[in-house]
Amino acid sequence: MMQLLSKQKFLFLFGILLVVTPFVVTNRFYLNIFILILLYATIAGSWNILGGYGGQLSLGHAIFFGIGAYTSTLLYLNFGVSPWLGFIIAAVISIVVGILIGWPAFRLRGTYFTLTTIAFAEVIRHLTLYFRDVTKGAIGVNIRFEPSFANLIFREYSAYYFVVLVLFVISIAIAIWVDKTKVGYYLKAIREDEDGAETLGIHVTKYKMIAMVISAGMTGIAGVFYAQYMLFFEPISVFNMNFSIEIALIAIIGGVGTVFGPVLGAFIIIPLNELLRSSFPSLSGMNYLIYGVVLILIVSFLPNGLLPILKSIPKKLKGLNKKNIKVEDGEKVDYSG
Amino acid sequence: MIIQVKEVSKHFGGLKAVNGVSFDVNENEIVGIIGPNGAGKTTLFNLISGSLPVTSGQVVFNNEDITSQKPYVICKKGIGRTYQIVKPFGNISVLENAMVGAFNKASSTKEAREYSLEILKKVGLDKKKDQIGKSLTIADKKRLEVAKALATQPTLLLLDEVMAGLNPSEVKEILPMIKGLRESGITIILIEHIMEVVMNVCDRIVVVHHGEKIAEGTPKEITNNPEVIKAYLGEELSFA
Repeated sequence: MMQLLSKQKFLFLFGILLVVTPFVVTNRFYLNIFILILLYATIAGSWNILGGYGGQLSLGHAIFFGIGAYTSTLLYLNFGVSPWLGFIIAAVISIVVGILIGWPAFRLRGTYFTLTTIAFAEVIRHLTLYFRDVTKGAIGVNIRFEPSFANLIFREYSAYYFVVLVLFVISIAIAIWVDKTKVGYYLKAIREDEDGAETLGIHVTKYKMIAMVISAGMTGIAGVFYAQYMLFFEPISVFNMNFSIEIALIAIIGGVGTVFGPVLGAFIIIPLNELLRSSFPSLSGMNYLIYGVVLILIVSFLPNGLLPILKSIPKKLKGLNKKNIKVEDGEKVDYSG
Repeated sequence: MIIQVKEVSKHFGGLKAVNGVSFDVNENEIVGIIGPNGAGKTTLFNLISGSLPVTSGQVVFNNEDITSQKPYVICKKGIGRTYQIVKPFGNISVLENAMVGAFNKASSTKEAREYSLEILKKVGLDKKKDQIGKSLTIADKKRLEVAKALATQPTLLLLDEVMAGLNPSEVKEILPMIKGLRESGITIILIEHIMEVVMNVCDRIVVVHHGEKIAEGTPKEITNNPEVIKAYLGEELSFA
């Protein structure tokens, strides 16, 4: 009971901190990092529904991110559709593409599924390059800086911050819903053993599709935000395999199949990434080196990610205070998020 | 009659794993399926539970044709099964394992949790509910298999060698549980090698050999059946 209380307190405090951040952090460099943290936490959280809970290791999530960015931006530039509406249209198109990819890909298991997602991402990137009449090809898409609420373009970073904060809160709410309901339990069962899951009455393909729909839709929405925040992107920047790997890594490092694992991952990886990039401007690729080392360490020593470690700290402190460390009855897990 | 298996066959290329097997099971009966290794017992279960489509034949459950339906459909209709090679969900807790099954009928997480706790108590895993699946001993993993299947609230339960690999005292613990299940109104078909169990628990026995049914009857009839003795011990040698 004590632990539950302290967890709620911690989350409450965390929420307040998130709200006050843009009032305290006025430096654009640092506020940019916070915006990216929340953006990547949102995307990694979306990936986590399919990849973490469902165990369908997608390395093609850049597809939805890129489709989100291109959908809203092309609608905005060609037809003047507000990116706010673009959020919804982008989500719908990402979901449709997700279902079209899932249909064949979900028949494959494990590595074969992963390879298929990579292949789809590459194909879509090449299509974007090829149809340059529509997509402007390799030149990329430039959005003119015309700040207004309807255009979802702001002079102040703090405005972007609050937009991404809302997206982040939505993604957390979805993750909590998944975690606490049948969907999450079923996805975990599918991750652990598909055949076993099916004999327990689980329509495996249906639940994989549900995960895909949630995951693709949210990632597409994040892509819209990215486009409006960066105001410039090209196929290589949004349909990038490194991006797909990065968001998977954030979730894995934080803790897959948990609500707050991807959040923790984003809070570690993004600042690390940005600080390394700005500390070693001449050493491009330094961040990937560090990534590699971190990933090897995590996968070797903490296959469940960092979140379980973080969670065990209050328990251990409590145990030390009371000076009675209970011998635990076997290995325990707590996926409650 | 809760289930009728009619002339079902499963051929893998030239191999006739199950060949024209028929039998019926009445409500609230315990029927054992025995036979030497490789006789096709587990394949027969796979055909009933939908894990494999049949080559020919028919499976009728509660007067409804369920032949070659998907496993999740068959589970929804009320047939639960366990696997001989246990399939615990390794990285989630015992309670969560059971809850996955319970969601088959439960409408809320709370309901699933409460029902699962009940089931875990029934199979004697309530004290280990927070352990993760893969950390259990083999005996407990078998219990968990039963718990998961039971949590789906089946009316017919297929138990595939739930006692293989258990020591005699563990078998003695599980026996009353199986009898208890029948008392709670569940019909059971079980595959078992331990004769003590089969003779003790089963109302009727179906003997399968080389994919074909060679005998059916009460335990007493089966032990005296020459065909069965031949299958297990071989033919009497007679040289001219």
